[in-house]
Amino acid sequence: MLIPRKYQSIAASAVLLVTSLAILSYGAVRLSETGFLRKVILETAAPVQDAIHLSLLGLENLWKRYLFLVGLEDENRRLLRQNAELAQQINRFREESLEAARLRKILDLKRDFPQGAVAARVIDRNRSSLFKTLLINKGTANGLQTGLPVLSEQGGVGRIIETSWHASRVLLLIDETSNIDGMIQRSRAQGILQGAGRRGFNLKYISRTEEVRTGDVVISSGLSGVFPKGIVLGTVTAVSDSDGGLFRKIEVLPAVDFEKLEEVLALQKELRSKP
Amino acid sequence: MIHGLLLPVGLLLLVVLQITLPGLFLPGGIGIPFSLIVVIYAGFHLGVLRGGLLSFLLGFFLDCLTGAIFGLHTFFYVLIFLLARTFSERVYGEKPALIALYSGFCALLEGLLIVVLYRLVFGIDILYEIPRTFVPQSLLVVLLSPFCFALLDRLGVFQHAENSKPARPI
Repeated sequence: MLIPRKYQSIAASAVLLVTSLAILSYGAVRLSETGFLRKVILETAAPVQDAIHLSLLGLENLWKRYLFLVGLEDENRRLLRQNAELAQQINRFREESLEAARLRKILDLKRDFPQGAVAARVIDRNRSSLFKTLLINKGTANGLQTGLPVLSEQGGVGRIIETSWHASRVLLLIDETSNIDGMIQRSRAQGILQGAGRRGFNLKYISRTEEVRTGDVVISSGLSGVFPKGIVLGTVTAVSDSDGGLFRKIEVLPAVDFEKLEEVLALQKELRSKP
Repeated sequence: MIHGLLLPVGLLLLVVLQITLPGLFLPGGIGIPFSLIVVIYAGFHLGVLRGGLLSFLLGFFLDCLTGAIFGLHTFFYVLIFLLARTFSERVYGEKPALIALYSGFCALLEGLLIVVLYRLVFGIDILYEIPRTFVPQSLLVVLLSPFCFALLDRLGVFQHAENSKPARPI
């Protein structure tokens, strides 16, 4: 060996630290790029995540629906089982009906962007509170690429930050690293809508001279080129001038309930901007 | 050979389970960082090269699957592994209380490093995540790490690596 044995540990430590630090530096500078290795891992893990997610949801439903039956009298058990089966059947019909309604809304939305939108199913959501992302079941094979905006029938959801062939990760608008151009629909005052985690958004750089009221709707201004103009993003919940600066402090409640998203629509690049 | 090929698959599965399981059982998006516990375990039981590569892979997989800044966990996991290894050379690291406290400290340290990185690199203040996410997560690690260590010992996951503390060739 070139390196004496007693220094091998130090050398290996240094190499590992420098390599990982180099990857971190690269990652911090090029946030939007998806490397090949990362694509492969995402592609490999997505079906497993989907399967685990669906199995656990099934288990959870089973737990909630059937556990209370244990220990009841036989007659009660039979009646309750029958009741549960009927309830499950009704629930299935209701679920299918709700799904059809959701898909109809997505299709209606898709018609607003002819030939330029891809409907996708949410197959997992990041459960840590630090990184607010979703995984959807469409990728580059379906024409998706990083940077594309993602909508639901309620409004703007986020943008794609990495893609594999059949899965993509969406950075939600409420993530602290998300910034997009927003506009108060009533007064047309424009600012930057920054994600604020579970608190929703902060609308920044709105001058104190602008009139902003609680309940004002915030829409995308279309300036940054990510979202088309006019997509609903949220509603103003609090306006404050307390910090004494040039700008107002505006808190915005997202239009989209990110916890309940099941289907979304990714807009394709060429038709992203409306006239 | 087979062990070497299966280990990355096992690590990937561990990370997938880590990010998929907890949200269903724990409120507020608090996850159980099983991978971090494995990294600390590696710090106590493996050599620099083997343990370092394992930590590197775990961090890399976590970066790929959480949508985190690329390299964030890769770097912190390598750092925590080296810290754990340095620590384990100076203490007798088989006492459950010591394992629990040290693992909790590492989980909290990881959280603090993330907060500092966000502040320094992106200018974003996520201090509020410390009491809301990182402290409860560290407490979970304190509670679970002795059991995880015992389980890993019993499973003999690293049976082909160095088994115990004394000799640590790389």
